[in-house]
Amino acid sequence: MATINATINVNSADLTSSALALSRTMTMTKAGTKTGLEFTSGLVRRKLTAVTTIDLVTVGEQMYGTPTASAANKLYIKNTGSSSTDSIAIAIGDKDSDAGEELLATSGNSKITLGNLYGGEWMLIPFEGTANNDIIVTPSTAEATTIEWMLFFE
Amino acid sequence: MATTTNTLLLESTDLFDDSLSISNTSTCYKAGTTIGLDQTTGLTRLYATSETQFDPFPVVKGATNAAENGKVYIANLSEDETEFITIGIGDAVIGKLYAGDFLWMPWSPKLQHVNDIEITPSVATGINIEYMSIHNYANIYPDSVDS
Repeated sequence: MATINATINVNSADLTSSALALSRTMTMTKAGTKTGLEFTSGLVRRKLTAVTTIDLVTVGEQMYGTPTASAANKLYIKNTGSSSTDSIAIAIGDKDSDAGEELLATSGNSKITLGNLYGGEWMLIPFEGTANNDIIVTPSTAEATTIEWMLFFE
Repeated sequence: MATTTNTLLLESTDLFDDSLSISNTSTCYKAGTTIGLDQTTGLTRLYATSETQFDPFPVVKGATNAAENGKVYIANLSEDETEFITIGIGDAVIGKLYAGDFLWMPWSPKLQHVNDIEITPSVATGINIEYMSIHNYANIYPDSVDS
């Protein structure tokens, strides 16, 4: 097992009339245990140069192992750019989905959009890893957009 | 506008032979701008005593926020490692947050019921959950209802 810690800090002096200072640390553990996650995809870096939807993180067997589905896996994604206008849309589903569709079937071409990561933004979410739950991304521009991601899994 | 920063530290000294240390800080901006997000649901702490799925940030019927891009924070405050909450969005499952786990992600709400965020506790014996959205959405919590 390994000890992997993730700490988030969210701060604002003027979002509300009282200052916001949120801080939380989690240690990534296997589902239902106090045993640390021990596998990872490694930090992956990809450069995208087309406004084309791709599978960023696919479920099932991979080069780096086979993440257990419905477990306590965690996924980190960052848009490494600096643009405030260019983004990557993050969705769950299939890369061949209808661009306008927002439904998720248990199979076939469908997706649900979470949101967008603009330059410098990051996200950290649990990763379900069941069928048809690929993480798919679509850049907003054909100019080079570089993404980093890392999966921690059991 | 407001200035809200978010920072992530990802660290491990024994996942690899070498240490892992990732640090990121960004500012919460409105979509496609450098104008700070200026609304928040506030940090809610809920003691959920049912395994029934609920929407922490209900989207009111007719609201259109697809072009917006807020941030969502959810944490499972349980100290029992067997207890989890399942996080969904629309018909999809994002994953499970076990005791002590949190998530931070962007969220662009579509029409009501399309990609609403859903939380389902694994137990009915009581579990503390924290959640907050920082956003500029129209017609969202707390002045809306969902089903």
